[in-house]
This record gives sequence, structure tokens and C-alpha cells, in this order.
Amino acid sequence: MSIALPRIRFLTRPWLALLFACVLAGVVRAQEAPAPAAAPDAAEAPGETRALDTEVQDLKKEVVDLNKELFILEEELLFPANTQVAVFVSMDVGEFFALDSVQLKIDDKEVSNYLYTPREAEALLKGGVQRIYVGNLKTGPHELVAFFAGKGPSARDYRRGATLRFEKSVGAKYLELRISDRQRKAQPEFEIKDWE
Amino acid sequence: MRRPALALVAIVGSAVVGAGGAWAAATTDKLTAIRVQDLHYGDVLFHFYQDDNFEALTRLLAYGQWDRLPHHRADAELLAGGLYLSLGLHNEAGERFSRLLTPSTPAGVRNRAWFYLGKVWYARGYDDKAEHALRSVTGLLPPELEAEKTHLLANVLMHGGRYDEAVQVLDAFQGRSDWVAYARFNLGVAFVRKGQLPDADRYLTSVGEMAAGTPEMLALRDKANLALGFAYLQADQPANAKVVLERVRLSGPLSNKALLGAGWANAALGDFEGALAPWLELRGRNLLDAAVQESYLAVPYAYGKLGANAQAAEYYETAMREFDKEGVSLDAAIQGLRSTRLLDDLLAQETAERLGWFWQLQELPDAPQSRYLYAVLAGHDFQEGLKNYRDLAFMQHRLGAWAESMEAFHDMVDARQKAYAERVPRTDALLATAVPERIERQRGELESKLDAIERNHDTAALGTTGEREQWARIQRLEQAIANGEAGAEGADLEAMKDRLRLVKGVLAWRLDEAMRARVYRQRREIKDLDAALREAQRRWVRVERARKNVPTNTGEFAARIAALSARLGALQVRLATARDRQNDYLEAAAVHELESQQARLAAYRVQARFALATIYDRAANPPPAAESAAPGRAAPGPAAPPPGGEAP
Repeated sequence: MSIALPRIRFLTRPWLALLFACVLAGVVRAQEAPAPAAAPDAAEAPGETRALDTEVQDLKKEVVDLNKELFILEEELLFPANTQVAVFVSMDVGEFFALDSVQLKIDDKEVSNYLYTPREAEALLKGGVQRIYVGNLKTGPHELVAFFAGKGPSARDYRRGATLRFEKSVGAKYLELRISDRQRKAQPEFEIKDWE
Repeated sequence: MRRPALALVAIVGSAVVGAGGAWAAATTDKLTAIRVQDLHYGDVLFHFYQDDNFEALTRLLAYGQWDRLPHHRADAELLAGGLYLSLGLHNEAGERFSRLLTPSTPAGVRNRAWFYLGKVWYARGYDDKAEHALRSVTGLLPPELEAEKTHLLANVLMHGGRYDEAVQVLDAFQGRSDWVAYARFNLGVAFVRKGQLPDADRYLTSVGEMAAGTPEMLALRDKANLALGFAYLQADQPANAKVVLERVRLSGPLSNKALLGAGWANAALGDFEGALAPWLELRGRNLLDAAVQESYLAVPYAYGKLGANAQAAEYYETAMREFDKEGVSLDAAIQGLRSTRLLDDLLAQETAERLGWFWQLQELPDAPQSRYLYAVLAGHDFQEGLKNYRDLAFMQHRLGAWAESMEAFHDMVDARQKAYAERVPRTDALLATAVPERIERQRGELESKLDAIERNHDTAALGTTGEREQWARIQRLEQAIANGEAGAEGADLEAMKDRLRLVKGVLAWRLDEAMRARVYRQRREIKDLDAALREAQRRWVRVERARKNVPTNTGEFAARIAALSARLGALQVRLATARDRQNDYLEAAAVHELESQQARLAAYRVQARFALATIYDRAANPPPAAESAAPGRAAPGPAAPPPGGEAP
């Protein structure tokens, strides 16, 4: 068993004087209320709270910065720019297709088989672009095949493929798997764009 | 609770449409709608839209450093500010917004950013910064935010004791009826604090008598009545207080305080029977509540005043037993608190892996101390500290995962260095051959030769082996005839010459016929050779570069890994220390709260014991006219005042 916390902060204080102060605390909207004005406990040790909060903020900032450095190190080490190939997935509108999964093959070798959570699919629909795969390829010609599975028009199972032959030169290669609605045919459209 | 993503989307994300999405019209309230023009910016948004703000910020910063967001620099800066804010890094967010939110930023975006920044700063107790941010909002926000902004600003002002300004801000407020109710309440509070009770009455009564249809408004109505009631008690106007306090609902969360106050109002009016009714109602309620605890002393006090000493003594004895029992539980709770790590217990049920300022603890663990800590844990400072603690735990976890990766990175660089060392001799041997240069030279010679053949129309040079042999034989025969070594004379010689001319003519014609195609083919082959040669040269250059750079690259990586590992290690230690400090601080606050409760109970026990002794003493030596003092009043008397009754 556990005790549910209230969303509103009711201040209970032993002494009536304090109780009085609490009763007189100003309020913002209950569901948003961060802190009543003149709340006695908020003012108990502002110096220490603030010092600790500042320290924690500085620390968080350092962690954010370090995390970025580590992310950069990892990518530069594992996927150097001259061999890197990254594949992205984007969705536009999504009226005729609800994405369940994407399978990727590069040069006939499966490199990714990704199942989407509702949250991820929603993020795509909002305009997010997923970096579904990042890897390394030699310079020269290659072939990318993508299979999209999901629900098509009238909520029927829908599976389509798209293929792109591309040339990997020196420098990172970015490919976009684009799912969009073809309004005139009331069908989804799948294409692969080679970003130079 | 407002969803975090929505709040931030409101700042920066609302105008972003998907890659390939339709263009939307720009309004003054939004950033100009944009397509995602850089895939990596879309990747940041992909994480942002899933509320994975830490990852979104990491990628945003990394991609920015790699210059992979060339079309979204301004959006990225603004988004970074929003993400810092969502992660509780309000100082960083504030600096960024101050820099970024220029008059050229659309007013709606700028105002929202200032609003949320002000809200976070207010929540964290940075009133000066909160005021600056809230005052930086120009024009009007959407109605709901505008109302909240006004109230935040008023609270900041009241917090700083600037009641006149708070009154001014709230007096000018016009909005939805519920917000107006909040405005009136806050105005009433401001007037009470200024000592202008008639003005306070005007505003608080309007809220206290309003028709409330929602739990939120009912709670506000109760709060207004309670505030006014206690203000009247404080001002020694018990009759007014009584009327107002009786408006508070009997079942609401403020009912205990209202009942206690109503009792005191009656007592102050000399109506002790009237006082007993609310106080007896309180006695049946949860003893954790300070008002209920006080009622345990107030009830016998009233009985004493009514001359019912036996009942008064009985109630005092009960009070002492209950206080003792509660004191034992409090001891156990304090012990429990000291023997476990409070914040880890609190977060044990939290499964969400995200972090951020918008998070709030929803449930308390089922531990003995929870019931006593209800107020302190629900308190604002504690919640903010707990968020910090939770964020630090999340970051520790992330850094822990990186620490494991660092070992792998180190091994990887090591393996690369070894592989390099193994390949160096073979590579050096290959590079020493200078093969591309030789091929290039040969290719030049070949082309010159072809040029000469074409220029001299040397058709035989491009003939097949058979043709070239035939051509050579013809030339040898011609030479032999010219030298008189043909072995024939006269008619035979002439016939031989004719045949030779014929054969030569046929062959020359055939070679001439094929010449153009053969030259074309040769040129084509040279072209193919050029392509192959260029590729070989490119590879050769890469091998040369790799030969030269790999030691530097791997060395650079090794150095970066070493430096980052050191930073990682140091930060992990500091994170752990900060977490401990945060835990100790909040744990001390919790223990302090319990000890305060314990001290209060102890004081109550002393009061009860003293009052009881007085009653017994009075029973043994009855005075001519027995008098008892009100609990909490500095009047001498047999029933000593309970400590809580200091001063309504």
C-alpha cells in the first residue's frame, strides 16, 4: 500500500502563528502551484538550498557537456566521416500508413530490423526524423533495400519495399527513407532520397 | 500536470513540421514554420518529441559541433535553451534566452520562453530572476498563461514583501472567473499582510462566498474563508472569525484548521460549550494533524472552563496516553529514517528513465515514517531537491554506461594500433615500389605512341598479330626484290611483284579500313586505363595518408579517451558526492520535521501533565473561585495552556 501525494500543497504547521502564515500563503493555480509566496518552509534555508541547487546545476551542465564529448568520441571512433553511412526515416502526414517496422538491407545484408513503439511512431508523425542506422561502407557502388511494414488504407496489413543504388564516395553518406501520403491515389508512398 | 513536451513545444517546437511536411503560415505567435532541412535536426526532434530531452540535447550539441545543422542554427539555439530549461538547468537556459530572445524573435515565442523561465526560477526560489523573466514578457500571452504569469508575478512580489505592488498587479487583472477568484484570494492575502483587514475582507469574502463547482474552486473557497477567519482571530475579532470559519466545509482538507479556529472563536466569545462542538469533532480525527493534536488539549480546557473537572482530567489523561503513543511511533520513524537512505526509498517505485524539472513524485513508500513526512515530502523544497537527486542518479547511470564503453574504446584503439604495426612493413614495401608513377609513365608512352601512329597513319601498327606479320613479310619481300635477292627473274619476277602489290594493296586496304575503329578502341582503352589509374592513385594516396596519419589518429583517440576517462571518473565521484549531500540535506530536513513534531508532542505532554496536576491540586484544595486560562494564553490558571494555542 502506498500513500498518494496531493497535487496541491497544503501546509500543516504546529503553531498557530505559522498556521496563520500558511493559511495566508498566496496560491497559483492548484495544478500548477509550485510554491506559495511567503511559505515559511521555503524560506527556512534558502542559502543552503540555493548553494546546493547551483552546485547541482553546474554539475549537470558538466555532465551534459561530457556526454556530448563522449557521444562525439564514440561516433568519430566507430563511424569515421570518410566511411560513415547513416540512414534516416521520416514520415509526412501518415494518413494512409501507420508504421510498424522497417527492415534495412545494404548489399543484401540485413543491417537493421526496427520495430516502432507508439511513442516513436508519434514522434515521427510530429516531424521527428529517426536515425535508424549508422555504419561504415567502403567507397564504391552499393545498394540499399528498405521494407516498410504497417497498416495501410482501411487498416489493412501493408508491406512495401524501396530500393536505391548509390555511390559511396569519401565523406559521410546520408540516406533518407521517406514515407509520405500520395493524396490522389489515397495510398502511401515510399522513397529513398540520397542526400549529397 | 502540464506535459513537459507540450510546455516546451509551446516555446520552440510548435512551428516545426515534418520533413516533407506542408509549409504553414507564419504568425506572430510562432516561429516561421520550417521544413526539417537537416536530417540531423530531425533526429534531435525525434528524441525531443519522445520527451527524451537529455538525449535530444546531447545530439543537438554534438551535431552543432559537427556543423550538421547548417539550416537550423537559430532554431537549434532556441531549442537548446528549452532543453536546458526542461532539464532543470535554469541558469544556463536563462543565459541562452537572454542572448537569443531579441526583438527579432517572434513575440509569442519570446514571451513563452520568458514565461516558462520565470516559472522555473520562481519554483526554484530565484525570485529576482523570476521577476525579471516575467517582466520581460511584452504584450499579452495566451489567456491561460497570462493569468498564470500575473499570479506568479504577484506571488514573487508578495514573497518579497512588496504588497502594494502585488495589489497593483492583481487589481488590474481581468480574466476567466476561476482566475479572478485566485486574483481576489491573492489580493485578500496581500491586504491581510498589509494589515488592511477591511480590504482583505472585501476580497476574501467574495471568494469565500462564491458558488464553486469544482474541487479546485471549493478548496480555494475554503482557503479564503480560513485565511480571513484566522486574520480576524489574529485581530481579536472572534465574532467575525466565527462567521467566516463556519463557511469552511467540514470534510475538506482545511476542515481541521477551520474547526480548531471556530473553537477558538467561540472560546474567545466565552462560549465554551460552543467551542467544545468543533473541538470534539476534531478529536475523532487523525492525530497526525497539528490541529487535531491541539484539540486534545483544547477539549479538556473547555471542560475545565465549564467546571467539569472530572471530564477535563479524563481528557487530559487520554491526551497524555495518545501523545506518548504517538511519541513512540515518532521515535521509531526517526530511527527508520536514519537507518535507511530516504531518497532511494522514495524513488524505488519510480520506473521512468527520463529526467527533468517537470517530473513529480506521485506516491510515498509504505514506510512507518511516511505518515509523518507527508507534509514535508509534499513540500516544494523537498520536491525540488528530490528532482535534483533523481536527475543526478540518472546522470550517474549514464556515466556508468559510458565508463564501460570507454574500456571498449580503449581496447579498440589498442587493436587498431596493433593492426597498424603489423601492416606497416607490407605497406612500406608496397609504397616503395612507386607503382602508380610507373604506370603513369607507361601510360604516357603508350599515348605518345598512339599519337605517332595516328599522325603517321601507321595503319599496320594497330593491326592484329597476323596482319603485322603479313605486313612485315611483305616489306621483307619488297626489300629482297629491291636487293635482287628474290630468287626470280624476268617474267617470274614481274609476276611476283604483281602478286606482292596485290597482296600488299589488299592488306593495306584492310588495315586502313580498320584503322579508325582501332584508334578509337585504343583511345578508349587509354581512357579506361586513366579511370583505373585515377582510382588506384586515390587509393594509393589514402594508403599513404593512412600510413602517415594512423599513428596520429590513434594517438589522438588514445589521448582523448584518456582525458575523457579522467573527466568521467572525476565527475562520477562528484555526482556521488552531490547525491549524498542532497540526500543528507533532505534527510536532515525530514528528520528535523519529525523532531519538530516530537518536540511539539513533548511540549503538549508537559502542558497536559501540568494542567492535570493543577486540576488534581484544585480538587484537593478548592479555591474560592476557580479560573482556568485559555490554552495558549498567558493567563495563570489550573488548566495550563497548550502550546499550540499561541495566538489566534
